[in-house]
Amino acid sequence: MLHIENLTIRRGPDYRIALPLLSLQRGEVAAITGASGCGKSTLLEMIGLILRPETLDSYRLGDSATALDIADLLHEDRQKALADIRARRLGFVLQTGGLLPFLSVRQNIELPRRMLGLSVASEPVEDAIERLNLAPLLAKKPGQLSIGERQRVSFVRAIAHEPDLLLADEPTAALDPIQARKLFELIIELVRRWRIAALLVTHDWDLVRDCGIRNLVGVPDDKAPKGGTVFHDAA
Amino acid sequence: MTQPETRARRRLLIELAARDLWHDRKVSLCIVASLVAVIAPLLLLFGLKYGVVSQLQQELLNDPRNLEIRVLGNYDLDRAWFEQLAARTDVGFVMPLTRSLNTQADLMRDNQRFVANAEVIPTGAGDPLLGGTLAAPTAIDQVLLSASAARKLEVKAGDRFRLLVLRKLDGENENGHLDVTVAGVLADTVFPRPAVLVSLDFLVAMENFRDGFAVPMLGFTTGKPLEKPRDRYARARIYARGLDDVAPIAAWLEQANIETNTRARDIESVKAISRVLGLIFAVIAWTAVAGCVASLAGAFLANIDRKRKDLALLRLLGFRRGATGFYVIVQAALLTCLAFGLGYAAYFVGSLIFNAALGANLADNAFVCRLENIHILLAFASALLIAMLVAGVGGFRAIHIQPAESLRDL
Repeated sequence: MLHIENLTIRRGPDYRIALPLLSLQRGEVAAITGASGCGKSTLLEMIGLILRPETLDSYRLGDSATALDIADLLHEDRQKALADIRARRLGFVLQTGGLLPFLSVRQNIELPRRMLGLSVASEPVEDAIERLNLAPLLAKKPGQLSIGERQRVSFVRAIAHEPDLLLADEPTAALDPIQARKLFELIIELVRRWRIAALLVTHDWDLVRDCGIRNLVGVPDDKAPKGGTVFHDAA
Repeated sequence: MTQPETRARRRLLIELAARDLWHDRKVSLCIVASLVAVIAPLLLLFGLKYGVVSQLQQELLNDPRNLEIRVLGNYDLDRAWFEQLAARTDVGFVMPLTRSLNTQADLMRDNQRFVANAEVIPTGAGDPLLGGTLAAPTAIDQVLLSASAARKLEVKAGDRFRLLVLRKLDGENENGHLDVTVAGVLADTVFPRPAVLVSLDFLVAMENFRDGFAVPMLGFTTGKPLEKPRDRYARARIYARGLDDVAPIAAWLEQANIETNTRARDIESVKAISRVLGLIFAVIAWTAVAGCVASLAGAFLANIDRKRKDLALLRLLGFRRGATGFYVIVQAALLTCLAFGLGYAAYFVGSLIFNAALGANLADNAFVCRLENIHILLAFASALLIAMLVAGVGGFRAIHIQPAESLRDL
């Protein structure tokens, strides 16, 4: 589903973030963890096609037969094509929801599908709305929701257009531990059920361990002369 | 991205822009109010300028004498000269005229109803004196009368009276006469003095009679026989097509050493009023527009800064860079349309008040404050253009907002 080889990103003049290899299968969830400021969000932004890499040998998204190699698009900074891929194949969950304040919950959820010209009626979406108890909130505006509710709405929006890859930047950061665990478990369950892949940035090592998901941990990069982080699977 | 997808996204973007404005309606209304505060007074001011000037111009145009270039003295004008004059695009009407002494006749219905020395004026199709409502006489015994002549003779269209022309031939007084039918009566305001409008042939026959030729039409076969038809005239009746055309025609005639008299001074006064009002309007308009541009630029740019996260989120969700610029411009267009609608409504109410309060002494259908549809359209296009230009600056900033901004600092 997702295959990235030899990715490096330069942050500031000297700091280098490296991801030698990452492969995710459909239904697989991986956490990105590490110390504060090590570059977790930067890595997520890179995988989310928002930043340009310093080096990147391969970035393939999709099933092996029809996988799209995005590395060239990133190198050439082809913003239109990258924006289209973001719209079709990626879903984002932001820390405090990142919902448009002038749209109702339902309109926020429908937005990615409408952008792609898809019918707003979608079985997985209705299923997720029901599972996350969002039905009573659909007519409300984001300003009327708690942070936890916004996170749940943001998650449904992120999967509404049935993307290949879900990217979540600290989705549980603003939630209490019980709510955080519930959301985490739900994300894992739905990702598996809908057979998409997910990368979640989090500080919560315990949650990652308890949920038994793969952990991509950022550690100091000894090879970087002026400092950096390298991400690889935790032992 | 396919064409239908592009259209769908554009529609979605317009909808989002409108919803955003409605959600932020207090700020939107402030921007609209600042636009209305410029648009409405400018429409009223221009409406007043146009209304006053067009009213004065209309008053000038309503009196055909203002378009007349009167030829003073007698000349020897041939057919080619008349053709050359008629070919000018600024000439509205031209008609040969005989010597001034021969353009008078007595009009008599009976011994009680008589007009001495009425002016005899040759007329034809397109004569401004006919006002577009009366037809020029088609037969030699058909005439039109000025209102004052008709009153004195107590005649109306269809009545008959006698036209008398006196000459002295070989020491004998001879009274030429022709019974004529009134084909119509001119409006009172068009020609205040007693006058009869006849065909050119009849006027020429009168002059021939006075010059001692035999003119059986007027009842006399005495005098010299007429050898060939007339093709030279002493004067001309000349009317310009519009007020601005009077001065050029007069100048052209004076270049040919033909002395003229016009109402150029009256026309020039109206033009001077137009120029002064135009200058006042221009100064106020430019000041207002400059203030409006500064206010709009501040409002739009502040708005973009406020909505930076939302715009970044749209980019993150897959809207392209240009889409965020388009989003800002659509919002500016929507606000301008609303502001122009309200501004126009304010102008409409204001113009009704002006017309009711200041136009009470004017004739029917006269306006103190007035705008044509083309003015409204141009004003709308200008307002939209200014808003688009200002929003374009904001749009330029918006397209540089990075999707990452939605991920950070939330």
